[in-house]
This record gives sequence, C-alpha cells and structure tokens, in this order.
Amino acid sequence: MSSAHNVREDGTWLSRADRALFYIETKLTLLGGLAIMAAMLISVANILGRKLFNIPVPGYVAIMQQIVPVMAFMGISFCQRLGGHIRMDLVAGKLKGRQLWLTEVIGILVMLILSLALLYGATDHAMRAYRLGDTTDDLGLHTWPVKTVVPVMFCFLIARLLLQLWGYLRALRSGEEFPVAVPMIEDAATQALNEAKTVSSRDEEMSQ
Amino acid sequence: MTTIEIAMLLSGVLILLVVIGVRVAFATAAIGITGMFLFYTMDKGMDPMRALTVTLKLSGQIPHSKTASHVLGLIPVFILIGYLAYFAGLTKAIFEAANRWVGWLPGGMGVATVFATAGFAAVSGASVATSAVFARIAIPEMLQLGYDKRFAAGVVAAGGTLASLIPPSAILVIYAIITESSVGKLLMAGFLPGAVSAVIYAVMIMGMAKRNPKLGPPVTGYSWGERFASLPPAMPIFFVVAIIMYCIYGGWGTPTEAGALGAFVVLCMAIYKGMRWKDLSGALIESAKLTAMIFTMIWGVLIFVRYLGFADLPNTFAAFITSLHQPAIVTLLIILGVYVVLGMFMDAIGMLILTLPVTYPAVIALNGGIDVTREASALGMSGEECGVWFGIIVVKMAELCLITPPIGLNCFVVAGVRPDISAQDVFRGASPFFIADVVTVAVLIAFPGIVLWLPSFL
Repeated sequence: MSSAHNVREDGTWLSRADRALFYIETKLTLLGGLAIMAAMLISVANILGRKLFNIPVPGYVAIMQQIVPVMAFMGISFCQRLGGHIRMDLVAGKLKGRQLWLTEVIGILVMLILSLALLYGATDHAMRAYRLGDTTDDLGLHTWPVKTVVPVMFCFLIARLLLQLWGYLRALRSGEEFPVAVPMIEDAATQALNEAKTVSSRDEEMSQ
Repeated sequence: MTTIEIAMLLSGVLILLVVIGVRVAFATAAIGITGMFLFYTMDKGMDPMRALTVTLKLSGQIPHSKTASHVLGLIPVFILIGYLAYFAGLTKAIFEAANRWVGWLPGGMGVATVFATAGFAAVSGASVATSAVFARIAIPEMLQLGYDKRFAAGVVAAGGTLASLIPPSAILVIYAIITESSVGKLLMAGFLPGAVSAVIYAVMIMGMAKRNPKLGPPVTGYSWGERFASLPPAMPIFFVVAIIMYCIYGGWGTPTEAGALGAFVVLCMAIYKGMRWKDLSGALIESAKLTAMIFTMIWGVLIFVRYLGFADLPNTFAAFITSLHQPAIVTLLIILGVYVVLGMFMDAIGMLILTLPVTYPAVIALNGGIDVTREASALGMSGEECGVWFGIIVVKMAELCLITPPIGLNCFVVAGVRPDISAQDVFRGASPFFIADVVTVAVLIAFPGIVLWLPSFL
C-alpha cells in the first residue's frame, strides 16, 4: 500500500540536496498534470469537432500516444520522494531502528539496480528511434523526443534513490529514529488521517 | 532446473521482496528482468553478456511502448475528474437531494448517504476520498438527528466503496489494460452491480433501522416543492453520468473522449464555483503523482508478464486449475477467498495488478477458454463475457477489502475525520456491510446477467 509523506528536513547537505531535487520534481510533476489537462482538452476538441463540425483533431490518436508517456513518467521521482509507490509495509512497519533501515537499504538497492538497467534499455530505445528517424503514422511526428522522456525521468529517479540510499545508510550507521530526506512509514490510520485532512481543507475553502 | 521450476522459485523471491517492503512495481520488474536473463542463458544457451544485452534492450522498451496507448489516457483523466469534483461543490448538493427524496425511509439519512455516495461516485472514482468527504458532510447531520455513532460511521465507510464500480472507475480501466478486455464493456458492466450494491446497502440499513429504530430515525417534513428544488444543484452529476454513458453506449465517442468530456464539465463547474490556480495546480500535481504510481505498476508488472509468457507459467497454472477434480464454481470461490485474504494486507490496485496475470487466464481456462460459447462453458457465459464478469467480481472483492481490518482504509479515513469515533467502532459499524458485500458477490455470481446485460448492447 502507498505510504508516508512525512520527510524530515534540516540544514545538512543531504537535506538541502533533497529539497533542491524536490523543487525540480514538483515542477516536473506539474508538467505531467498539465499534460493530463492537455490530453483532456484535445479529446474534448476531437469529439466536439468531429460531431458538431465534422472536423476531428488531425492525428488525434498519434498525439494522445505521444502525451500518455509524458503523463505516466513526469511524476515518477516525485512519487518516490513522498513514498507514494505501492508497497506492502506490514513487515517493514513493525521493524524499528537499524533493522528497518537495513530493510530499506535492500529495497532501495533493488530499485536502483533496476532503474540503472532500465535506463540503459530505455536510452537504447530512444536512440534507435532517433537514428532511424522513427515517426508516428498520422502526423509524421518524431517519436524520439517522447521516448527520451523515459530515460530522463529514470535519471531523476536514480538521483532520488541515491539521496534516499545516502539517508538510510546514515541512519543505519547512527541508528537514529527519524532520519532526514527519506519518507517515514506511516500506519494505515495516519495515512487515512492525512488523506482526510487534504479533502477536508479543500472542502472548507470551497464552502467559505 | 526446468523453466517452470525457475519461474516458481523467482515467484517465491518476488513474494519475499514484496513482503519485506520493496515497492511492488520495482520488485516485479526486477524479477521479470532476472527471469528473462536466466531464460536466455539457461533455455536458449546464449552467452551471459549477450543475454544481458538482449534482456535489457527488450525490457527497456516496455515502459514506453506499453504506456504509449490512446486507451491508457483514460486513467489520468478519470483521476483528474475525482480531484476536480471537490472543487465543483457537488458533494453537499447530492447529499441534500438524496436526503430530501429518501430521508423519510427507516434509517432514511443512512439510505440518503448511500445514494449520495453512489451519485458522487459517478464523478469520482476514488473510494477513500469519497468516504472522507461524506464523513464530514453526512456524519454530523446523522448524529444531530440521534443516529447511532457506530452505525453512521459504518454507513459512510461502506458507502465510499461504491466508487470503484460505478463509472468512471480507474480500477476497471486498469483491469481492462492488464487483461486486454474491452474498456467500454467493463465500464458499462460496472454500472448495474454498483447500483445493486447501493440498493442492497439501502435495504439492509432500512431493515436494521426498522428492527432497532434507535439506530436511525427517518427524516420527515420535506414538501414536494422542497424536493424538486434540491435537484438543480445536483444536476451536473447526472449530466456527467449521461455524457459518459451516452458516449460509450451510443457510440458517440471512445471511452477516453467520454471521460475527457466528463472531466471538462466538472472542470467548468469547478471554475464557476471559484476554483483558483492554486487549487487547480494542486489537483494537477496530485493527479500526475497518482498517474505515475499506477503507470509504474502497469509497466513493472508488464515486464514481469513478458517473462511469465517466456516461462509459460500462466498456462501451466491454468492447466493445473482446470485439472482439479471439483466443480468450477468451487475453484472460483477458492480464488476469491485468496483475494479476501490478500486484500487484508495489500492496496486494491496493487493486489489486482500483481495477481491478474496469473488468475485471469486461470479463470478463463476454468470457464472453457476465451473462445468458448455460452452453451459449452463451465460458468454459463462465453469467454469474452467471463472476462468482463470476472473483472467486476474482483473489483467488488477489492472494494470489500476497504472495510476489513487490519488496513481497511475507508474505516481509518472516517475515524480520521471524526476523532470522537474510534477505528474499532467504525470497523464494527461497517461489519454488516461486509456481509452485504458478500451477498452482493453471491448475487453477481448466481446471476451474471446483472453484470452482462448492459455490455451486451455494445
């Protein structure tokens, strides 16, 4: 299940690097959100244009195929910073101190090795599209720019994982309870409370 | 070791990684890549360096190639509708309308809450968020009328679960992608079971309130004029439902276009109600974050699925399932039982994405294969119908797990919003609804026509 978003901050270099990367990640995620809105508006223009004026958006399917990977990847590192990728924390949630940090280090190492492996494969995929001049069927759009989004976002994810590895290794060495720059595991009750707070604050603002 | 033995061993390692808390998407992808590498070296006899290069190039394509799909664009759009719905001011309007129209029934405000959550579900596919919103709106009103605290909390926690079935439902789109089923048919198929669930909840609330009037008195005194006056503010919800249904049903547009049109209407409503850029950017960031989480699960599992295909594990499991000397329905119930247990420990989306690559082919095989006719099948439906029907059943199972301990998130959300009601009390209050959900699943298994009637017109 998705978990924590309480990340402790302080004045250390690790925390500063964490905050700087988080700033960029937030902007990238907003771009992903804007891509969702663009997809929505293009789809609306396509259906209304087609039905009302018999003028669909040219190359609609090709445009959507270009936008969806952008929506899918722009938030990948942001999600990891907040501990949002789905995990089962039934065992990890019971662990404390060094046992917990060791488990987290193992988890981050698995993710790091995988991300490096996929970075190689995804870069090769994008480079091949560039070399071959691969284009979409409809509008003849070049596919390499969108294919490049994937390895670029894997680079951000790898940077995030390295920071988290640094944070967990520091915690493993010092045995501290609340390390900086890493998401802490929350139980189901705390996650639910945070979710409820988000909705409640929006609701209150709107009713004012 | 044979290919199947290696696949079983790697599946064991995957379970271990997931249990110790490795993010599910990354654990599945890592095991998928490892499996492909072993397949190329051990089965195909490639030298390790070449096997590694082939594996990495093959798996590195999947994150882009499997997400560059027009149909997948529907998931982020449905997520965005859910976030914008709060800003469109639709929650209070639908609750007020439901209360005025059905509040006179025994346990009337509880019944109104169930129908209001079902109505809100039609613009928001998020179960947990629906419970959070209605915990703030409905529980204070119910307590003011003298409703039993535990009962009121249980109604809201259970009502939130209706969001997963009633379109727009992101989880049904995910099911369609993983199983390569028709998105339109699945979305249409969810509508009646969602409505049946709401009716079963309502009947149960009325029965409980009739037996013990202290649980929830009826709300009386509304004139017909007041009832009709409550409808216009709630109309956008019906408008969005009508758009999505008409687009898919009437062939006006694709499900993605239908979802986009629905989201556009909700966005216009939200802007009209005074949503600011700060609110919109917050909704966009939350939508993009959830989208990234879901898509990472999808491509992670699809790398694993590619390996499973090499190892032929789904077919082997399906052959094992069909070789069991017991009625097909018993095997199906055992599979559903496993989902109940898994759901107690895993997020619904994670649970479905992780298990479907193996359980879906098994259930299809159990019914007689994807090309089987209704007459020759074991469960009384064609192969394609079985795929749609099983989707609704497993999503209903995933919903059910939102109100079961120890991690039933809807119950914790209600307890989070109402600190005066303990989580234990919410779980107790929701327990009758667990029984109602089991009854609903039994009804959907006994009468698959409830699921398959609407999609049969497509």
